[in-house]
Amino acid sequence: MSVIQTENLTKIFRVPQKDAGVRGAVKALFQPRYKDVTAVDGVTFSVEKGEVVGYIGLNGAGKSTTIKMLTGILVPSSGQVRVLGRDPHRERVANARQIGVVFGQRTQLWWDLALIESLNTIAKIYEMDPQRYDQLLEQFVDLLDLKDLLKVPVRNMSLGQKMRAELAATLIHEPEVVYLDEPTIGLDLIVKERMRAFIKQQNRETGTTVVLTTHDLGDIEELCQRVIIIDEGKLIYDGPLSAIKERFGKYRQITFEMARDLDGVDLPAGAEIVTQDGRSLVLRFDRTQTTASRVAAAVMEQFNVVDFSLAEPDLSMIVKQIYQGALHPEAV
Amino acid sequence: MIRYLVLYWTFFKQRIKVLMEYRVNFLIGASSTLFVQAASILSIWVVMRQVPTLNGWAMAEIWLVYGLLMLSKSINHMFADNLWTLGWDYVRTGNFDRLLVRPIDPLFHLLADRFCHDGIGHFVTGLILVVVSLVQLNVVVTPLKVIYMIITVVSGGAIFIALNLITGVSGFWVMDSTPVIRVVFEMHEFAKFPLSIYPKAISAVLTFLIPYGLASFYPASYVLGRDVPPTLALATPVVAALLVFISYRVWLFGLRHYSSTGS
Ligand SMILES: Nc1ncnc2c1ncn2[C@@H]1O[C@H](COP(=O)(O)OP(=O)(O)OP(=O)(O)O)[C@@H](O)[C@H]1O
Ligand SMILES: [Mg+2]
Repeated sequence: MSVIQTENLTKIFRVPQKDAGVRGAVKALFQPRYKDVTAVDGVTFSVEKGEVVGYIGLNGAGKSTTIKMLTGILVPSSGQVRVLGRDPHRERVANARQIGVVFGQRTQLWWDLALIESLNTIAKIYEMDPQRYDQLLEQFVDLLDLKDLLKVPVRNMSLGQKMRAELAATLIHEPEVVYLDEPTIGLDLIVKERMRAFIKQQNRETGTTVVLTTHDLGDIEELCQRVIIIDEGKLIYDGPLSAIKERFGKYRQITFEMARDLDGVDLPAGAEIVTQDGRSLVLRFDRTQTTASRVAAAVMEQFNVVDFSLAEPDLSMIVKQIYQGALHPEAV
Repeated sequence: MIRYLVLYWTFFKQRIKVLMEYRVNFLIGASSTLFVQAASILSIWVVMRQVPTLNGWAMAEIWLVYGLLMLSKSINHMFADNLWTLGWDYVRTGNFDRLLVRPIDPLFHLLADRFCHDGIGHFVTGLILVVVSLVQLNVVVTPLKVIYMIITVVSGGAIFIALNLITGVSGFWVMDSTPVIRVVFEMHEFAKFPLSIYPKAISAVLTFLIPYGLASFYPASYVLGRDVPPTLALATPVVAALLVFISYRVWLFGLRHYSSTGS
C-alpha cells in the first residue's frame, strides 16, 4: 500500500478582489467581488514507503497548498487524498500522530521557551516513551549540534539555529511521513549540509517517507531519487531525477559581458542564445556537440568580451525549460 | 480525558515559565486587573451609599449578583482568553496551521496555549464579593447551597466561553474578530446587577438569548430566597451544556472553512 495517494487533488481559493486605495477598500466592503484561484489542479500521484520525493515548481505553483492538503490543514475542493490509508482532514488527530511537518517560514516551537522545554512538551503531546525520548534526544543533539541551544529560547536563535531546532522538533516523535516545505530557505551551506545529512540519515535508518519542496537543486540532488514538478497547479512531470538530468544535464550555460552593445552573433553548431540583453549574452550549448572552449572562442573572436562565466545547469534552469514545454516531444 | 488533563497541566507549567520570563509584565497584569476591579466596585459602592436599595435590592445583595458573575467571567478569562486572539494571532498569521498538525483537538490546543493569569484577579475579587455578601446578609450557607453555587459558577463560565466561541469563530473570516466578540460579551455588564431593574426587553435578552443572567441574577435570587421562577434558577447547567454543544458545532463549521495563508 502506498503511504500517500492523491487522485485529482484540487484546491480552489476564493480570493476577495480589492481595488487600490481607500475607495477600493470601502467598495470591497459593500460590494465584495471574488475571484477563484485554482492553486492545485487535478493532481494525481502516489508515494511509497521510504521514498524521498522532491516536489518542485515556481513560486505560486501550488506546492505549499498541496502539502497543506496532505497534512490535513486544508480540505480539498475536490479529489481524493489518503495518507497511510486515512483521510488526513477527517481523521486529523490519528493522521497527525504519524506525520511531521516543517514550514520553512514558521516555527512550531514555543517562541519564549527554551528549546529543551519545547521538545519535552512535544514528547508529551505525542505520548512518547520517556526512555525512547531520551535516547533520541541524545542522538539528535549530537547529529544537529544542538548542545548549546537546548537552553536558548527560540526567539533568541538565528535562522540556522532555529531550523536545526525545528527539524529536531519535527522528527523526535519518529513520524512515518515527513513534509518539509522549503526547509533550507535562507540557510548557509554548512547548515544546509547538516540538515541534508540528517534527513538522509533518518530516511535510511527508520524508513521515514519524505516529501520535500525546495528551490535549491542541491537539496534535490542530495536527497531525492524522484521529483514531481507542478506548474500553475498542474502536475507536469513525475519521474526519476536521473531522467531529467540526463535530458537537460547535457546543456551548459555561459554568460558573457561585452564591452559594447552587440547585434548579431555567429555560433558554432550545438550552441544557441538563451537571452540577449544589451551587453550581456547568455548562451546554452549541448555538451555532446561542442565544448565550452569552442563556444567561448567563437564569441571572443567576434566581440570584445569583458567577463564570462560558466554555470552548471541548476534546477531552476531545468524547470524553466520544462515549463516552456521542453518535455513535449515536438518541442525538443 | 485524563490525557487532556495531563496535557493541560503540561501547557500550564510551560505558560507559567513564560510568564516568569516576563516577570514585570506578569506583576503589572495581575495588579492592574485588581485595580480596575477595585475601582469599579468602589464606584458602585459610592452610588449605592446614596440610594440604599435598588429596586428593592440592598447593596449586600447586589454584591452577590455581581460576585457570582465575576466568578463565572474569571473562568472564561483564565481558561479561554485565547479565543479573542484567534483571528488576529492565529488565522491571520497562519499560526493556526501549527495547531492542526498536532495529534490533539485544535480547540483544546488553542485554549491551552495561553492560560491567562489576569483572570486570577477577577476570581479573587468575585470570591471576596460573594463571601462578604453572604456574611453581611447572614445567609445560612448549607452544603447544598455551596454545591449549587459551584455548579452555577462553573456553568456560568461555560456560558461565557460558549458565547465567546460562537462569536470568536468569525475570526476564520474577518481576521480581527475582537469587535464581533465584544458586541455579545459586553452584554454581561448588564448582568452584574439584578435584571429586575431593567426594561422587560433587556432582561428577556439576558435570560433567553444571551443568558448571562443565568449566571448571576437568578442563582443569586435563589440563594437569597427571593422570588424567581425556580426553573430559571436551576436551568444554568442545562443551558450551559446546550450552548457548549451549539458553539462546538459552530467551531467545527469555522474549522472546515479555515483556508490558511499563502506562505
Ligand atoms: N490561503 C490562501 N488564500 C488564497 N489564495 C492562496 C492561499 N494560499 C495560496 N494561495 C494561492 O494559491 C497559489 C499557490 O500558492 P502556494 O503557496 O501553494 O504556492 P507555492 O508553490 O508553495 O509557492 P512558493 O514557492 O512561493 O512557496 C498562489 O497563487 C497563491 O496566491
Ligand atoms: Mg510555498
